[in-house]
Amino acid sequence: MRTFEIKTPVYIKSGFTIVGPKEGDGNFGDCFDLVLKDDLWCEKSYEKCESKMHRDAITGAIKKAGMEKEDIDIMLGGDLLNELSSTSLAARNFPTAFFGLYNACSTYSEAIIVGSMLISGGYARHITCSTSSHYSSAERQYRFPLELGNQRPPTAQWTVTGSGCTVLSCEKPSAINSRVYDDDIIAIDDGINMDDKELEKYKKSIEKQKKVINKDKSNILEENFHKQNNDYGVPSSHCVRITGGTIGRVIDLGIDDEANMGAAMAPAACDTILTHFKESGRSPDYYDGIFTGDLGRYGKETLEYLLSKEGVTLPKYYMDTGASYFLPEQKTFQGGSGAGCVNTVFNAYILKRLQRGEIKRALIVPTGALLNKDTPLQKETIPGIAHAFTVESEPLN
Amino acid sequence: MIDRIEYQDYVTKTQPKSPMVRTLFAAFIVGGLICCIGEAIGDIIKVIFKEMSDKDVATWESCVMIFLGSFFTALGLYDKLGHYAGGGSIIPITGFANSVVSPAMEYNREGVFFGICAKMFVIAGPIIVFGVVASFLVGFIGYFVV
Repeated sequence: MRTFEIKTPVYIKSGFTIVGPKEGDGNFGDCFDLVLKDDLWCEKSYEKCESKMHRDAITGAIKKAGMEKEDIDIMLGGDLLNELSSTSLAARNFPTAFFGLYNACSTYSEAIIVGSMLISGGYARHITCSTSSHYSSAERQYRFPLELGNQRPPTAQWTVTGSGCTVLSCEKPSAINSRVYDDDIIAIDDGINMDDKELEKYKKSIEKQKKVINKDKSNILEENFHKQNNDYGVPSSHCVRITGGTIGRVIDLGIDDEANMGAAMAPAACDTILTHFKESGRSPDYYDGIFTGDLGRYGKETLEYLLSKEGVTLPKYYMDTGASYFLPEQKTFQGGSGAGCVNTVFNAYILKRLQRGEIKRALIVPTGALLNKDTPLQKETIPGIAHAFTVESEPLN
Repeated sequence: MIDRIEYQDYVTKTQPKSPMVRTLFAAFIVGGLICCIGEAIGDIIKVIFKEMSDKDVATWESCVMIFLGSFFTALGLYDKLGHYAGGGSIIPITGFANSVVSPAMEYNREGVFFGICAKMFVIAGPIIVFGVVASFLVGFIGYFVV
């Protein structure tokens, strides 16, 4: 039995997202909390930028939930880089217990599932689930240097530059989110462990960033705080509960093309969805929102074909977050991918629709391709994995 | 679930393929243009330095082309050309310059020794190895034949 139900209520308290400029131009551009103007964000390398995005997404989510760092019991997080470097570097800024998780692009659902189980079991009260990915750092780790003049194959996907964090809690969320200010995000961490010399350097870099923000060439392209999709002032009518999920198994149907990860992940998504419907006894119509992770346009077609062979038809409102992430003219071919993809869409778009009561029950199935740079060279095929979790919105009071 | 072999067949049949005509045409035009620029530079060098032998002109011509390839890589333009032209901009000597300079730029952040110097030939390494091996073989055969 891989499907489980969460009996004690686990609520989503808040979600916070930071994305890069290209993502800001995409389909969900006006839903994100913060859109950066350049993908270095005053840092010296893309890895440092990713780590900073990760740290500030967690800070932002905690602030938005109206809590303090010290209130969080456990942090769950992961990213795509070797040895979870950007998550670990971000986690050193928090006085909190930390678990690093890795399931490639489906790390987010892994974090949500583990987090809600921990809360439901009574082992923690408040948990953050965060993931991040960065196009430039992933490209350099998995593929080629950025400036190399090679062509991307038409099945390629574009790693999303973005980070998001969700705060899970055993308490019901309040109707109004706390406002997050620039100063909350770009500030010196109190608990940071540094000698005086480095602290001086750090202070200088923060001053520099604040100067950039004060000028009109602000580094943050858009704070979407005021937009209609981000109702900071408007109370949300519903609260969102994690109700259960299905833990995926690793499926490998022998796809060895690392540029075609949609095809490698689609069988895993198919297996998880079928298992979920079979074990829970539900049909696709039970949900009014079904979202898969970063399968991309071709992977989405493949999933629909695989499911139709098993006699399951997904409803029209089924959406793949990767396939819908970018506009076609942004030339990402199959769409977005990466650990930040499904995370940013969930926190920025799906969660807000749930909180407004537009979606009542949703099934979210992030997918991941489990490879590293060397396995395809050693003639290994690419296994895929998908974990599903279900969310429901209940009216507040 | 679907059978392994059946699924692989399905993917091979249905996955999106590169538009052959467009990419080949773009590669042909851009590759040809780069070669024309090279020839033009050779001609200009010949006009300016009339005394220079043809062999020296060819060497200088390659040097100028390598410089141009590296220069446009550093400006961040060569990869944009590469996205459009593919093989057309990879095969000429400017593409070789691009494959050396781009990792050097990328790994600049890891320091001079283990960053730039160690990673510079990550992509161009095989080309150099095969070049040296091929020249050795040709020289070896040539020594006995000629």
